[in-house]
Amino acid sequence: MDSNAGRVDILHGISLEIAKGESVALTGPSGSGKSSLLMLMGGLDRASAGSVKALGRNLGDLGEDELARFRRDHMGVVFQSFHLIPTMTALENVATPLELAGHSDAFDRAEAELKEVGLGHRVGHYPSQMSGGEQQRVALARAVAPKPDMLLADEPTGNLDGVTGTQIMDLLMDLQARNGATLILVTHSNDLAARCDREVRLRDGRLDEALAEAAE
Amino acid sequence: MNVALRIARRELRGGLKGFRVFLACLALGVSAIAAVGSVRTSIEEGLAREGAVILGGDAEMSFTYRFASDDERAFMDSVAAAVSETVDFRSMVVVDRDPVERGLTQVRGVDAAWPLYGNVGLNPPMPIDAALETRALPGAVMAPILMDRLALQVGDTFRLGTQDFELRAALIDEPDGAAGGFGLGPRTVVTLDGLASSGLLEPGTLFESQYRMALPVGADLTAVQVEALAFEATGARWRDSRNGAPGIAEFVDRIGAFLVLVGLAGLAVGGVGVSSAVRAYLDGKVPTIATLKTIGATGRTIFAAYFTQIGALTVLGSSLGLILGASAPIAFGPLIEAQLPVPVAIGVYARPLAEAALYGVLTALVFALWPLARTERIRAAALFRETGTRARNWPRWPYLLVIVGLLLALVGAAIAFSGIPMLALATAGGMLGALVLLALAAWAIRGAAKRLASLAKGRTALRTALGAVGGPGSEAGSVVLSLGLGLAVLAAVGQIDTNLRNAIQRDLPDVAPSYFFVDIQPDQLQSFLDRMNGDTQVSRVETAPMLRGILTQINGIRAADVAGDHWVIQGDRGVTYMAGPPPAEEIVAGTWWPDDYAGPPLVAFAAEEAGEIGIGIGDRITVNVLGRDIEAEIAALREVSFENAGIGFILTMNASALAGAPHTHIATVYAEPEAEAQILRDVAQDAPNITAIRVRDALDQVAEALRSIASATSYAALATLITGFVVLIGAAAAGERGRVFEAAILKTLGASRGTILRSFALRASLLGGAAGLVAIATGAVAGWAVMTFVMDTTYRFEPISAIAIVVGGVLATLVAGLAFAWRPLSERPARVLRARE
Repeated sequence: MDSNAGRVDILHGISLEIAKGESVALTGPSGSGKSSLLMLMGGLDRASAGSVKALGRNLGDLGEDELARFRRDHMGVVFQSFHLIPTMTALENVATPLELAGHSDAFDRAEAELKEVGLGHRVGHYPSQMSGGEQQRVALARAVAPKPDMLLADEPTGNLDGVTGTQIMDLLMDLQARNGATLILVTHSNDLAARCDREVRLRDGRLDEALAEAAE
Repeated sequence: MNVALRIARRELRGGLKGFRVFLACLALGVSAIAAVGSVRTSIEEGLAREGAVILGGDAEMSFTYRFASDDERAFMDSVAAAVSETVDFRSMVVVDRDPVERGLTQVRGVDAAWPLYGNVGLNPPMPIDAALETRALPGAVMAPILMDRLALQVGDTFRLGTQDFELRAALIDEPDGAAGGFGLGPRTVVTLDGLASSGLLEPGTLFESQYRMALPVGADLTAVQVEALAFEATGARWRDSRNGAPGIAEFVDRIGAFLVLVGLAGLAVGGVGVSSAVRAYLDGKVPTIATLKTIGATGRTIFAAYFTQIGALTVLGSSLGLILGASAPIAFGPLIEAQLPVPVAIGVYARPLAEAALYGVLTALVFALWPLARTERIRAAALFRETGTRARNWPRWPYLLVIVGLLLALVGAAIAFSGIPMLALATAGGMLGALVLLALAAWAIRGAAKRLASLAKGRTALRTALGAVGGPGSEAGSVVLSLGLGLAVLAAVGQIDTNLRNAIQRDLPDVAPSYFFVDIQPDQLQSFLDRMNGDTQVSRVETAPMLRGILTQINGIRAADVAGDHWVIQGDRGVTYMAGPPPAEEIVAGTWWPDDYAGPPLVAFAAEEAGEIGIGIGDRITVNVLGRDIEAEIAALREVSFENAGIGFILTMNASALAGAPHTHIATVYAEPEAEAQILRDVAQDAPNITAIRVRDALDQVAEALRSIASATSYAALATLITGFVVLIGAAAAGERGRVFEAAILKTLGASRGTILRSFALRASLLGGAAGLVAIATGAVAGWAVMTFVMDTTYRFEPISAIAIVVGGVLATLVAGLAFAWRPLSERPARVLRARE
């Protein structure tokens, strides 16, 4: 990948196919390239070589705005640090992707989604007024509200305590199951990985072949 | 070393990166004030140093309407080493060609001793004696602007009254030209002998004679002045080189003080920038402060540490400003000197720099103390909590008291230094009011944006823009305050300027006469009236006998001791006489004298001015006319209007009181514009001694003077606006990190760059527009106040300049906001978001 400090080789020779509706855990030690791979899958970053195809489209062929529209129509992303927009209330945060997609009932659906994650009483609050667990639930609601084909989650429980983390994970798996979306989950946790259909291990930017073979 | 000092030193080691806006705001504000103050002092110093040259002598005695009497001349000859006699009056230059050309001029008749000091600059260069000597005709020199206007060349002949003169040179530099203030016409200089047969110095003509004295070396100016005081009662006026050009000195002083006040507005805008810079810096220091608290630092130590840092930066910023402000006048010295009719002693002066430094330090403290005082309230727990790290509560009351005290000191300093306390107080009040209004507006805009954000469903760009304006961490406060105050100053200047120009150029000429005619001799009056009354295009002619007199005593006491420095007793005033009463509605109090009244002198005084001086019916005033004292009782108070440029006299006496005093008449003629030229030709033909003043030309000259004041003010206001723009850039830069983050999330959610850019543009326009609207409201109030209370005329809202202000505000915020939009738009979301993990 290209960076401000020049070209850095993070991922090498990765060939991976994920089926529609499948849930896949990306695991591996810190620095192994799991989050980078997820970012490439989400079109949030570009690979210097190779290609990423999603729903039959080569993401490398799409411009910045086409990528944005592709995410709008097909993807939901959840981050470790929630990444809510601080100047918007919970409701507005969740409604934003629906609005971008041109849904006239964006706010009604956003409110329903917040109720779904148990935050019906917090719709008017700003992120700074909520706990970490609540913020991640808002982020989750935001990701699933447009009913995406793919759900990308980057260590969604990494900043949360055990109990809250489990709640969030239950919620995530439940929402994925109900919407039938493809889930790609970056995690350090073996327990979480075990809840997915498949685990893909990375080491030094390469697929861990031993594990891959064992799986086959 | 004290712990706080050591902490401060370590913190400052990191460099000044976060303080660029702080330093720029302070340096700009201080430099503007220092520069204006330095120029003002340079002019005053120049006037003081060159006082004798500007005045044309060490001392001057002058008389209205007459030359000095033998006694007076004898006194001057006894005290002075040399005396120069000159005479000054308005007249018409007539050039005999087809068509005949005429131009208004301020004539100066000089004797051989003129000028006592300094040199007359002529083109082609020659001694003034040679230029004025009588050959076939007496010689003359003339201001180039009048030569151009009349297409006169050196060697041409022209006429003043009934005397022909030969033009020998262009008058480039008249050493004592500034002493008299601003004349209505360009200068023509001839000899007194040359004027003798011009018919222009007949008894009753409006002229002033001046006697410049060169005193022997070591003469005591004050002692001579005391002796000369004996002649005050007969109408002699005294001036000396200690204040050679009192009119100009006062003008420079007033304008300088006014511009310093405008500069203070700039400093207030800078204060907003100082405040937000300090706030942003301290917000970033919350973890440091919390850590310091965790390891045992007291609130006082922390306050001291950060106060020391801000103090050091204040000294640095003010010093930069002083260096800039002191060097600007030196750099632009030749330009400044070329623009002014007086000598300028450009240099570095301590007083204006000290004044600017004081303003700078006080402003920085007033605006920095608030956020500084809040550091005390940051708790160690802030380290462990994600939210609520920003100290948003009020400082403790002792700090509030100190802030109020500093604010009072700032206003007090402005009042003391400006020398125009009412204006300084009004300006301070206006700025404080504007700041409060802008703060309220910012608060209201945030509230409204928050509410509207929920109504803007489906319009993502608009809703995110409204969210950014109304939500936490909004830039509304600093943007509206900084830009709004700058625009408010500009709006006020625009409203006042346009209103004044319109009052002069559009409203006044509708009711003002076409011409003033002065110096109509009594035996010329009838034929003059016949000519005007016989012209169907002349709608109205008014004439009045005109003398000039000085109000010397009120009820036997020196007038200045009763009336202070009221304008009526400053110099000579027009005096007229009437037999019968004016229209009844003009008489406010008392009774008019009968037509045939021949008793002791009676006078009707202008009602408004009598009230201001504090005199009324039955009081006795002494007026010196042509060296003769006339004591008269006030019999009536009369309503006199000066607004329509018609005839208005402060003093109207009964006819017999002035019988025997030689005098002339003045006339106002109201005519159709197309008839004006023929009227001028006919009057000049019949009576060459009569001077015509075209009212429109005179008004143009007043408008020109106002225009230069307005443009000087605009420059000072521009400094305010530049400071505002720096603050704006600072706010935009400070918000860049937030916008980069926001853009990354929006892109992740599927927003195109166009949507994001629209959102950025919208929020900038919203804030800029709001700042502009508040600025217009403030400017309109200021404009109304100045027109109503200072100019005593009606105010009308001027939409053009107002619209320009709003558009300017929107553009400024757009430029500042979009200049910092590139990074948010170009960064890949993954980079931004992962950096925050």
